[in-house]
Amino acid sequence: MGARAQLTTQARSRIVDAACVAVLLIGSAIILFPLFWMAETAFKPPSEAYVMPPKFIFSPTLVNFRGAFAQQQGAGLAGYGTGYGRDLLHSLILLCASVAVALVLGTPAGYALSRSRSAGSRLIAGGLIVVYIAPALVYVLPLYVVYEKLDLLGSFVALTAFYETFELPFVTFMMRAFFSDISRELDDAARIDGCSRWQTFLKVVLPLVRPGLVTVTILTGVGSWGEYFGALIFSGPSTETAPVNLADFVGAGTSNWGALAAGSLLLVVPVLVVVVVLQRGYLRRFAAG
Amino acid sequence: MRPAGSPAALAGDELGGRGSEQAPARRSLRRARDWADRRFFVLAACPAFVLVAAVAAFPILLSSWLSFTNYTPVSQSLSWAGIGNYKQMISGPNASFAQSAITNTVIFVGGGLAFETVLGVLFAVILARPMRGMMFFRALFFLPLMINVVAATIAWGAVLNTSDGWVNYFTHILGLGMPNWLGSSYTAMPTLILVDSWTGVPLIAVIVMVGILVLPRAPLEAARVDGASAFAMFRYVVLPGVRPVLIFAVMFRLVSMFGQFAEIQLLTNGGPGLATTVLNFFVYEQSFVNGDVAFGAALAVVLVLMMAAPLVVLFRIARREY
Repeated sequence: MGARAQLTTQARSRIVDAACVAVLLIGSAIILFPLFWMAETAFKPPSEAYVMPPKFIFSPTLVNFRGAFAQQQGAGLAGYGTGYGRDLLHSLILLCASVAVALVLGTPAGYALSRSRSAGSRLIAGGLIVVYIAPALVYVLPLYVVYEKLDLLGSFVALTAFYETFELPFVTFMMRAFFSDISRELDDAARIDGCSRWQTFLKVVLPLVRPGLVTVTILTGVGSWGEYFGALIFSGPSTETAPVNLADFVGAGTSNWGALAAGSLLLVVPVLVVVVVLQRGYLRRFAAG
Repeated sequence: MRPAGSPAALAGDELGGRGSEQAPARRSLRRARDWADRRFFVLAACPAFVLVAAVAAFPILLSSWLSFTNYTPVSQSLSWAGIGNYKQMISGPNASFAQSAITNTVIFVGGGLAFETVLGVLFAVILARPMRGMMFFRALFFLPLMINVVAATIAWGAVLNTSDGWVNYFTHILGLGMPNWLGSSYTAMPTLILVDSWTGVPLIAVIVMVGILVLPRAPLEAARVDGASAFAMFRYVVLPGVRPVLIFAVMFRLVSMFGQFAEIQLLTNGGPGLATTVLNFFVYEQSFVNGDVAFGAALAVVLVLMMAAPLVVLFRIARREY
């Protein structure tokens, strides 16, 4: 009797396991579906990209990547025809500039917030969340008016300043959380040993939050690399970013799927490589819970 | 040294001074150190706060003010318009557009969020199960969160293409015909929600999964020993435990759905007709395509208020005790 009851629970748990795997496989298939299209179409001869039924077996080619870089100049709706290679570079410059500003200003601010017990600092932390979560539009609209008056439209300064509306509060808030995990007694010990506040911060506390700093840098960088709306409004011929360039050719009428897929892949792959390489340990811990 | 009652002395209390009976010399030394502390904190924090104020706080005020003017970048004219821009949403040639944008926003955010929350929690529960190979699925569900939104949207646009998209290849095989997913006013909004849930469901799933994994084991074991059904365990043990995390995830999604732009611009451009013109996209069109920045600013104020209301409710639910 007891054995039979156990057997049925075992059988039931096996059925539940199977159902879970089935649901996970469906979810995984949906997650991979557009990514598979992207990876596949990027290497498919352009003549076979439109064929119905789709040809899943073909001889791979790199012609689409050449196509992505050679997209006709100024063919899009709002594009500047600067070429995809240069636009990838613009994206990278913007990423470096905006993340650097956010880290240099946000990390000490996060430290200060984590070490202050005043009500004001909690208020400021709350304010930072509000600034972070507000939709981009709320800043883009008035900044457009300001940039126009200051003749800053289309400059890296304009883009970087706008990117700080989400990067700086994010870095400050996240670093505050990481610094809060580190005991104040460590600060006190460093102080007693004769460190100044800056020395305590730079030489004692900061090295301890390096894993957190790496995580925040990556997340901020991914955010900057993927940002689209602000770049669409603010970038100009000398600053057009890769997502803006790519989006431009969606609206250009004759969609060259091969070149679009290749260009998309060039946006996606660097992020995945960086995340996997730099975050292997972190991700493993995360996946393990 | 500084006299008592000076900013330095106040700072001493604020920065964790213990205010005990100490020798005057030591006390003044401590005050000197507290003063140095305060200067450090101000120097460390101020540049960031000044920049946030300049690029975020000031523009918000400017935007609110612009919404009461008739400013347009083209004419550069600027005069007080009172509540004229807000009146446009109630009557006049733009009223019906603005109203349908507001309705669409409610459908997109409300419908999408409900869908994503239910599926997200379902996947979170499954992903949190201790099973062989689960690490692979956890990593996979993390993937969409790393994918550039423009790239993902282009891929979805391609696979949803009516005549040569992969989705319709499969629906055709299954005898479901070849629907014009993004071009029909019946399917455009649901399709957009499904595309949005490609990132939304994994986001909620991953956050809630972590919330489940860090739950204390004891109550779960107790419930199991007491013979609670799987559903009862979920409803009365897991769900209350992950409630704060779940609400955080929902708030996060709520905000990004209100601000959704790339998907709408690249997949439907707000169409067909106005079927997928949500408020965020409508503001973009009014401000940057039609050049009516002042009307756009007024709509942006409405957008923020619409977003703030459910956020406040969620925040209160999160803080409520059981």
